[in-house]
Amino acid sequence: MQTFVGVLLLGLAAALGSTFMPQIRVFSGMPDLVLLLVLSMAVFNPLERAVAWALIGGIFQDMLSIMPLGASAVGLVLMVFFIDWVRGQVFRIGLLTLLGVTVISTAAQKIILLIVSALVGLPIRPLETAAYVILPTIVYNVIFLFPVYWLTRRLSRARAVPKT
Amino acid sequence: MNSGLSYRRSWRANRGLFLFVTLMACAALIIASRVGLLTPFEDAFAAPLNAISAVFNRVAFRINASAGELAQLQALQRRNAELEEALAQFQAELVELREIASDYQRLADLLDYTSAARSMEFVTAEVIAFDQNAIFRTISINRGTRDGIAVGMPVVTRQGLVGRVIQVSATAARVMLVTETTSSVSGRLQTTRAEGAVFGAPNGNLIMSMIPLDAEVREGDLVVTSGLGGGFPADLVIGQVTSVRPAENGLSQEAQIRSLIDFDTLEFVLVVTNFQPVDLSVFDQVGRN
Repeated sequence: MQTFVGVLLLGLAAALGSTFMPQIRVFSGMPDLVLLLVLSMAVFNPLERAVAWALIGGIFQDMLSIMPLGASAVGLVLMVFFIDWVRGQVFRIGLLTLLGVTVISTAAQKIILLIVSALVGLPIRPLETAAYVILPTIVYNVIFLFPVYWLTRRLSRARAVPKT
Repeated sequence: MNSGLSYRRSWRANRGLFLFVTLMACAALIIASRVGLLTPFEDAFAAPLNAISAVFNRVAFRINASAGELAQLQALQRRNAELEEALAQFQAELVELREIASDYQRLADLLDYTSAARSMEFVTAEVIAFDQNAIFRTISINRGTRDGIAVGMPVVTRQGLVGRVIQVSATAARVMLVTETTSSVSGRLQTTRAEGAVFGAPNGNLIMSMIPLDAEVREGDLVVTSGLGGGFPADLVIGQVTSVRPAENGLSQEAQIRSLIDFDTLEFVLVVTNFQPVDLSVFDQVGRN
């Protein structure tokens, strides 16, 4: 995927995440489009490039959040490395494997954000966050993974077509 | 060329080091952002992102409103009937309240007292984004220090209290909603004057706790800010009591409050610019010393 397209997609996902997605909030959970996009990009791109997407996506997210810059990137970077590790364990990362990774990543990303929040002195409520934020977000992310994965695969294949 | 390729290969081979360096970069970003070193960068880059979000938000509200209009037609008809019934009741109460207001006005004039609400100065702001991070309930507005916005200023709508400003840049500000679980506001029941603390529930509603056991709390009672603690002006509407029960410790009562504001579809808010929150932290330090 071209750099410009990737940055544009991540910016768009961050903007959608702070405008359209809160309209469909269940309790406090809503789809995390940036996370889904970074996970899907990590499947179709080499590690270095995926890490760059994770950093850019995380910065976009923090620009539109109370969190300090870089806080969301920590979780996203770890998830990219997790996908890289999974890639070494299985023959191919398909949609089913990615579904499992998404469930783990969503929970891990929120837990990492809670830890970062606590470290920088922001007040947190872990049990309530688990029940009212993490669980509904997992359900949403599993649903939204399909269109995001489809889009990322199409864009990656379009890029991979050799020039004649 | 070859050295470049081998350099990249060594990076790939040493994933642990790569991960460590990346995480250190993230940590450096967090620290720099927290101490304010990145504020000019954040302001510069947040401006276009906020502008895009503002456009998206308007579109989202339009779509939401259109979809809602169709789906809620029946609900609106029912609601209309209820409101007509309530209106008849309120008209009777209005006559009575006008009598009380005229009495109050006479007494207030005698005391040379000016109502706080009447002396408030507002800046109207558009909601441009909701917090990306679902853990915290905050909104971004398109007014900043250039418009006289400062940290701590209360934010309201015609329906009542929205929250308070917690971060501010030149052109935008971030507002912590009263529905945020870590937010706390001193509240008072309008009818019985019983006091309590109002904070956000995880499901997005409000809870008023620490209401004295002997205080009478009824469904429909209006809850307003008490002004205690100096964080908010008194008499801003917070919401209406929907249910009440004894607190788990058995020493007080706890009421569920429903705000009259739909926080997920906020479009415009008013920032109270002439209210100076009282900083009580100095007394905590004195207490510790």
